[in-house]
Amino acid sequence: MAQVIVVTSGKGGVGKTTSSAAIATGLAQRGKKTVVIDFDVGLRNLDLIMGVERRVVFDIVNVIQGEAKLQQALVKDKRVDGLAILPASQTRDKDALTREGVATIIEELSKDFDYILCDSPAGIEKGALLALYFADQAIVVTNPEVSSVRDSDRILGVLQSKSKRAEEKKEPVKQHLLLTRYDPARVERGEMLKLDDVLEILAIPLLGVIPESESVLKASNSGNPVIMDSDSTAGQAYSDAVGRFLGDDRPHRFLEAPKKPGLFGRLFGGGRAA
Amino acid sequence: MTADARPAAPPSEAFRLRASNYSLLTLRLLSARPEEVLPALGDQFRRAPGFLRFAPIAIGLDDLDGQEVDFAALVSGLRKLEILPIGVVGGPQTLRAAAAGAGLPTLRSAGQKETEIEAPAPVAAPPAAPEEAPRPAAARTLLVEQNVRAGQRIYAQGADLIVMGTVNAGAEVLADGHIHIYGTLRGRAVAGANEDPEARIFVQNFDPELVAIAGFYAVREGLQNASIGRTVAVRLEGEQLRFEPLG
Repeated sequence: MAQVIVVTSGKGGVGKTTSSAAIATGLAQRGKKTVVIDFDVGLRNLDLIMGVERRVVFDIVNVIQGEAKLQQALVKDKRVDGLAILPASQTRDKDALTREGVATIIEELSKDFDYILCDSPAGIEKGALLALYFADQAIVVTNPEVSSVRDSDRILGVLQSKSKRAEEKKEPVKQHLLLTRYDPARVERGEMLKLDDVLEILAIPLLGVIPESESVLKASNSGNPVIMDSDSTAGQAYSDAVGRFLGDDRPHRFLEAPKKPGLFGRLFGGGRAA
Repeated sequence: MTADARPAAPPSEAFRLRASNYSLLTLRLLSARPEEVLPALGDQFRRAPGFLRFAPIAIGLDDLDGQEVDFAALVSGLRKLEILPIGVVGGPQTLRAAAAGAGLPTLRSAGQKETEIEAPAPVAAPPAAPEEAPRPAAARTLLVEQNVRAGQRIYAQGADLIVMGTVNAGAEVLADGHIHIYGTLRGRAVAGANEDPEARIFVQNFDPELVAIAGFYAVREGLQNASIGRTVAVRLEGEQLRFEPLG
């Protein structure tokens, strides 16, 4: 039976889709058959981040409405074995999704895959509720910033009360915190929330801290999930997070700002390392 | 702790009966069919998770024109929604009798003419109480073991509230009695919601958005800096909230 994982946040723009693409790719790199579903119907992005936008024929709405078979709509990744994407529709809205339709899709995917990642849209409306409804585990993506933390707290409450597991009074959805866009230098200057502050408020286990990195934008624009850029700190941090998700014991990295520049650096304005 | 608010039994007696007035929400049925009422309620609560959770409620029968109601189905459906029906008000005698058969005694609203209800059984309300006794006793203190998260609202109606975790910013806890919070209060806490000026709020780590007792409130901006981050008891003195450090 596949594990269903929702990648969610409440707030938009914190890195859900980037994280979905990176984690799905990472799981597949580790030999797990993984499919990632874009639930953001109407604002389809995942296929761009994954670099498969030119091969999309059908989408999740076509499958739900019986216009295409699931196998026709799945786009296989060409770089990593065992990785597939189920794209969202660009032209429809979230009302085209139905709980029964999503249930059928997840059930069918469970036969072929080890992990089903659901890339949630922002908000707490229908699309987001459907994305989390079937989840066994949740990766809550949060930025070190008060409104993002507040929205993540809200979505954790929603997971507690509106997921299938909650409604059926089963073991609760397993929750993981993924703190993204963490800039230790700005944390030191007090411009960003500290990791400890976020952990204290949200009170769920930490899956990983992804440092702010220019490589993320570069990766998105080129359609290569950032986890494939093993030179970048963000890529390495995502690899660590996937490792931890699969039970590896890996210390958290990139929590401290790079050492202060020496006398010369200070004299000649050597800025912070990226 | 509850001694002043409720009749606590002294050691020499096993119990004491006292008349008390409680404010209750009434669910006025506009349809006699549970299969219509319950999904509509469910929808409403899906939009506001935690709202009315474990709240006792009276079922109003006045708008039904005497249509028969499957009370057993209604009660079990409401309990699934974590709403606790404790009795019925209004409606014709036949309907009230059917409700009594399903364990819902007839409640008398404070403004109601006594004869209307007391005629069939002059002591209708007190004898009905033992039948329902386990429920109000259990609801006297509402215990919440987890954290209360942004957007969640918990109301201990006619009861004290104990939160073992933290009440996060954007969350709201209300009680008609006292509120005890053993984590941090970052959200809102409203005690004595039924205008009980004796209610108090006890917080292990005090960092609230708003606290209120019996309608008198203080927002964060108006709080003395001294009490922030400490263990604090809040009480109402006249029309002023007092914040006293504990321990």
